[in-house]
Amino acid sequence: MSARERLPLPFGIAIDRSRPLGYSFDGRSGSGYAGDTLASALAGDGVWLLSRSFKYHRPRGLFSLAGHDANTMVQVEDEPNVLADRLVLREGLTATPLNGTGTLTRDRARILERLHRFMPVGFYYHAFFRPAGTWPRWEKLIRAMGGLGTVNTGQKHGYYDKAYAFCDVCVIGAGPAGLSAALEAAAAGAEVIIIDDQALPGGALSFAREEVDGDADALRRSLLSQIEAQPSITLWSGAICQGWFTDHWLPVTRGDRLYKVRAAAVVIATGTIGQQVVFRNNDLPGIMLGSAAQRLMRLYGVRPGTRAVILAADEAGYGVALDLIDAGVEVAALLDLRTEVPASPLAAAVRERGVPVRPRMAVAEAVEGRNHLSAVRIAPVVGEGTLGTAGETIACDLLCLSAGGVPNAALVCHAGGSVRHDAVSGRFVVASTPPDLFVAGSVAGTESFAAAMAGGRRAGWQAARAAGFSNPHEPQVEPAMVAPAGPMPWPIFPHPKGKDFVDYDEDLTVSHVRDAVAAGFDSVELLKRYSTAGMGPSQGRITNPVLYRLLAQATGQSVEAVGSVTVRPPIGQEKIGHLAGRGFDPVRLSPIHHRHQELGATMMVAGTWLRPAVYGEGGQEASIRDEVRAVRNGVGLIDVSTLGKIEVRGPDAAAFLERIYTFAFAAQPVGRVRYALMTDEVGNVMDDGVAARLHAHHFYVTATTGGADGVYRFMQWCNAQWRLAVDIANVTAAYAAVNIAGPRARAVLARLEGDLDLAPEAFPYMAVREGMLAGMPVRALRVGFVGELGYELHVPSSCGEAIWDRLLAAGQSEGIRPFGVEAQRILRLEKGHVIIGQDTDGLSTPGEAGLGWALSKKKPFFVGKAALELRQRRAMNRVLVGFVQTSTGPQPLENHLIFAGSEVAGRVTSVAFSPSLERVIGLAYVPPALAETGTALTIKGTGGRLIAAEVSKTPFYDPENRRQEM
Amino acid sequence: MSGAEGARAANGNPRRSFFQRQLEELGARFSILEDGPLATDFGTATAEREQARQLGLCDLSSLPRIGFKGANTAAWLAGRGVALPAQPHRLARIEDGLLACRLSPGEALLLSQPWGASRLIKDVERAWSIESAGLCFPVPRRDSHAWLALVGARVPAMLTKICGIDFRPHKFADLTLAQTQVARTSAIVARADVEGTGCWHLLFDSASAAYMWQVLIDAMSEFDGRPVGCAALAPPGSAL
Repeated sequence: MSARERLPLPFGIAIDRSRPLGYSFDGRSGSGYAGDTLASALAGDGVWLLSRSFKYHRPRGLFSLAGHDANTMVQVEDEPNVLADRLVLREGLTATPLNGTGTLTRDRARILERLHRFMPVGFYYHAFFRPAGTWPRWEKLIRAMGGLGTVNTGQKHGYYDKAYAFCDVCVIGAGPAGLSAALEAAAAGAEVIIIDDQALPGGALSFAREEVDGDADALRRSLLSQIEAQPSITLWSGAICQGWFTDHWLPVTRGDRLYKVRAAAVVIATGTIGQQVVFRNNDLPGIMLGSAAQRLMRLYGVRPGTRAVILAADEAGYGVALDLIDAGVEVAALLDLRTEVPASPLAAAVRERGVPVRPRMAVAEAVEGRNHLSAVRIAPVVGEGTLGTAGETIACDLLCLSAGGVPNAALVCHAGGSVRHDAVSGRFVVASTPPDLFVAGSVAGTESFAAAMAGGRRAGWQAARAAGFSNPHEPQVEPAMVAPAGPMPWPIFPHPKGKDFVDYDEDLTVSHVRDAVAAGFDSVELLKRYSTAGMGPSQGRITNPVLYRLLAQATGQSVEAVGSVTVRPPIGQEKIGHLAGRGFDPVRLSPIHHRHQELGATMMVAGTWLRPAVYGEGGQEASIRDEVRAVRNGVGLIDVSTLGKIEVRGPDAAAFLERIYTFAFAAQPVGRVRYALMTDEVGNVMDDGVAARLHAHHFYVTATTGGADGVYRFMQWCNAQWRLAVDIANVTAAYAAVNIAGPRARAVLARLEGDLDLAPEAFPYMAVREGMLAGMPVRALRVGFVGELGYELHVPSSCGEAIWDRLLAAGQSEGIRPFGVEAQRILRLEKGHVIIGQDTDGLSTPGEAGLGWALSKKKPFFVGKAALELRQRRAMNRVLVGFVQTSTGPQPLENHLIFAGSEVAGRVTSVAFSPSLERVIGLAYVPPALAETGTALTIKGTGGRLIAAEVSKTPFYDPENRRQEM
Repeated sequence: MSGAEGARAANGNPRRSFFQRQLEELGARFSILEDGPLATDFGTATAEREQARQLGLCDLSSLPRIGFKGANTAAWLAGRGVALPAQPHRLARIEDGLLACRLSPGEALLLSQPWGASRLIKDVERAWSIESAGLCFPVPRRDSHAWLALVGARVPAMLTKICGIDFRPHKFADLTLAQTQVARTSAIVARADVEGTGCWHLLFDSASAAYMWQVLIDAMSEFDGRPVGCAALAPPGSAL
């Protein structure tokens, strides 16, 4: 690539010529300047061929230079599908073109273009699957040909994040209208955020020319200096508002961050998208919007060609001509689609400078040179979309299209507004806007900077008022300022030989669209889907207006009657990284967590918590068994801080528990603990725990680790209806809790200083005591989940590590051993204790789960009582029983099925090898007919192997419960 | 045994901060209070005071605090000399720097001043009994909630990364609080400026302390935020 001299100032306002930057594209080095985009730097180096089209591999170059088309998509290192005209150049940037086969300049796959007859519209719906078995071969080819760019599946997750932003008025677009709106809203006292998708704010002021000798850039700088001086305005350039959501919730991508902007009112000042003109070979590099040529010159100081033709249908085309002349480009002709050349100063100036201005003329065909425009054949316009005989050929390397714009109103549509075609003016216009959303500038139909600014001021004033700020000086807009100019000519000139492209992304031509309509896809949404028009990366921004017009023409309707496709977020260039952002995954840790880590525990997830599954090195199975044996034979210590803990206090505390749990609590003595089983309104088991009565008006209730939050919510929900004089507080995190269990537990506790009387008669099984232990306030509950003498000690969570440390130290001589959740599961299984959620499911009743003893029959009410009484009238169809494995070989696993003959009869809920009993034990649901002790069960194990088992009484271990009551 | 652990052992105080390990790793120097070790500074007190003007993260988890719930809460506290603000989501500075937060009509949260224990909190705690307080019940906020102070001019900008509330000073006034979600964790955010510097107290589930610390360190890095000791928040010359 060879760097060409950039145009002198005032061209090139966006670049810093003192800061050259090197880059490479397609393996070749180039240089640009700070402020360049990759596309402008390439243009500055004389590179106009940027990519190959998706289907025919035709050469493509820059078209809008504003990110509206996908011709500039490149791969930047590991990131595919980056728009080169939005990609700010940086030193060392390495980009490669997309979709090429061979080299970019000599693409072998362009031969596909010659096969276009075999690829009619929607051909892929009818091809590739006959004869049977042919698809796999096609698939390989299609996969090789399809897609855009390469995804690096080994790519590490980048640092993307999200942030909220707040303002009273959000202005989208920093052109003359947007900047004026922001200033007016700020003057009323509103806080304003301006969001602009271009690196250099100013919109059309930065590149367009509406006067012969005007200085739009001076106006731009003036507005920006006013913005800068206004502290209540924040301007984000290079930011894309990706959509509009209810209550003015605006997702905005800026760099690697997704902002969630909350505004009270919104001004849309997003301008227009330059209209495409359809003729043969209208996709060649060198054919671009007039605004794109102006951006190249004004922003980047790049001359867009050497000899130009301008195809105009509006006043802006004449400004383009003057800019090109000023930049030293020879303007060979200005073709005006309109019948008459306007008597405007710009048109007069163009003529004065010797440019042949030719009204009612159009381009019939562009001629391809070496992957670039080399000439145009022109023809007179003789009717709507009809040309006379093509005649003169004009050599040129640049064709600028200036056929008006379509409102860039996607955000308006997201918000519930609409765009329609106006038959009188031949333009698309914003037809309606929702409340508190205002449009200004060219998106609203204005055609001059002055009108845009006037409209902007009014929209800003309205938005500020909608946001609650008043300014008595209401800006007025003269009606004449928003009146559109004369009718816009029809911009589609089909060619008998085709290649008259409607959609660049999908290589769709006029005949494709017409064929689809003829095939019956004659509504706009169907046409879009069948033809895929507007479904490529540029999402119809360039295509849709042409599509609507062609559909109207083909169906004999007005363009307005055809309607428009649904416009959805995102606007564009939103990455998966933006959506994923920085994940927040809260993890709750016990106050003793670090001690578990220091002891080498393997942690497991338990709801939102991490819990120690098993401690120590070596085989996990062996460690688990050693932990079980330590508890059975000596003493063990487990962290149970994750248990739910709820305070129920007040004069009606006992009455509340009577209602919320199935057991009886009214007569529970202070200082005693009772099992607490909770059922839902239809009698299904919800949760369990224990309720310790600390005072006549105070119960301390535990819940399962996973169920705690749900239990607390359910309690609050119930009491919101019952209105009992009781307060419910979830204090789960306030208390660390440990269970010291085993025959030596009392001996260990006795070594700690404190005021708890540990004698069995003073502190019996199922009692609760409060006092001091090792200098810590403690609630001690004698409970027996693992079936041994045990004390559940609840201390303030800030004392969690300390109670753990003191107990381990005190128990050293007794061989105390920490045990984890896995050992606890075996210990409780040996006792036949159920785990809610494991041995019960969403439909288990207390009776089925063997918890019928926990239902009070005397109480008039508890949640689920009425339903349970109804359900108990029917025979149970399953019951939870204990079983022992009687066959040798592999043991069954949880959820293995139990068979009665060939019928599924039940399932295993818990199963483990019991170190205490030296055999495999478990719990399972079986039909009542199979529940008798000694009944043989057949379990289908892994791989279909049948396992023999036998129903057994529970508890398996210490059936008289003597050990826990020591 | 680290210096901090030695100090704890010497004082026989079994309580630890929820951020004990993070603070020790950063070389915190502790002052041992009744409710646990309080990180006063990291050996750079002067720099920390300057840091706190921009963006500082200060662990106050070992300072006394308590909540009360129930219909009689406001009346009972008023009888103990703690006048709650008339409206929920407000807080008031009262005797010895105590911050009295009204979370709802029937729920209060009392916080010590950020550089030392409040005597009044202990007095109120001792005065409560289930027999005398009626429908007013204490909530163990000292242990249920970790307490961090976010201090400095850049706090509102940092908080936009983790919370959907506009905490800018002119939108979220001094002595205002919000009960909201911060980084998907339920939290109370109460603003009570210190020495003319914006200060937002963040209280949240103590079991989520390690998670939240990591979230905040990450969110602050963009704004050059760092942990500071509570001395950075104290008025010059105040005893810690």
